[in-house]
Amino acid sequence: MTDEMRERLARLDPMHSGVPTEPATPESSRELLEQIMSTPTTERAEQPAPARRTWTVAVAAVAALVLAVAGGIALTGGDDTPPVADAPPLELDAGEEDLMAMCIVFSPEELGRAEIAFEGTVTAVDGPTVTLTVDTWFRGGDATEVVLNAPQGMEALIGGIPFTAGNQYLISAVDGNVNYCGFSGPSTPELRQAFEQAFAQG
Amino acid sequence: MSSDRDRRQRFEAIAEEVFEPLQRYLRRRATRADAEDALADVMLIVWRRIDDAPSDRVLAWCYGIARRALANQRRSQHRHLRLVQRMESQPRPTAAPDPADSGPDPELAEALASLSDDDQEVLRLWAWEQLEPRDIAPVLGVSINAATLRLGRARARLAESLSRQNPWRAGHEAG
Repeated sequence: MTDEMRERLARLDPMHSGVPTEPATPESSRELLEQIMSTPTTERAEQPAPARRTWTVAVAAVAALVLAVAGGIALTGGDDTPPVADAPPLELDAGEEDLMAMCIVFSPEELGRAEIAFEGTVTAVDGPTVTLTVDTWFRGGDATEVVLNAPQGMEALIGGIPFTAGNQYLISAVDGNVNYCGFSGPSTPELRQAFEQAFAQG
Repeated sequence: MSSDRDRRQRFEAIAEEVFEPLQRYLRRRATRADAEDALADVMLIVWRRIDDAPSDRVLAWCYGIARRALANQRRSQHRHLRLVQRMESQPRPTAAPDPADSGPDPELAEALASLSDDDQEVLRLWAWEQLEPRDIAPVLGVSINAATLRLGRARARLAESLSRQNPWRAGHEAG
């Protein structure tokens, strides 16, 4: 009986073995695989267990952020002062790697773990680089501009989020990496409410 | 730690093994364009996690990555659409061709479509990817026990849905 139902279901398979697919060998597939192999894997090499984020990237990004924040505080001397106009842009890694590998169920509590969270308007999309002007900081910075960098040649992989100049986005980041999986995306009342809830304490 | 050369060799070998099955997996669940995007995403993640790749059952590992890649893609691309449709209480769109439209077994297709996403997915993994619970488990990120239970329940619900559709055939697949 098991096999009968399984076979019956298998006959519904729209991609049964008779439907052709691209083998891994032709030029188009080779190009994709070669392009992929030209990107670094070394960030993960020291992490046998799946870790949530890439620390080597994180250290640099967080260091940059700390400088930006420290600069801001030094110049303005307080919490409630407006952003420093000439704070350097904050750069975030917009590669996907761990993020897709470790997608977790969305919740405001989980979102609240992000060190960086802001709402911003895209001012430019240039290949692997998306530039946003920050409209609201929820946490983690005072830069007026944030630059998202996708890995070279992987422009299409910026989180599957269709970044369009002029549109507003809510972005969260952990360890310098943009957090996808629903934790960042185009601004919607629903997502904004989640951000407000997650970062209510600051 | 393995050298770049080792990693390339390992990746090439894995690509050779999984490239075509992954395309089938993705195109069963997504439009052609989305499947192509997701394939690139999956292969990139496989490359970046090459040191974590299991020495056997690597295809099931890749299906697990593909599952999350598709979920991620859907979340980011169809967020608005899904919200609107949920508000209108319409059935969720299936990106893959709707098997209930026509096809060899419309009754079964309809019964399958009436099940929850989770039930449908475990049945597809079983019948389309031809996976046993021990390989379904890593794809869904659950224990083998849980995968076995889920499959059993999904099969029971499928049989139940079929007999509801065709009361005169009740018992045909039940039990």
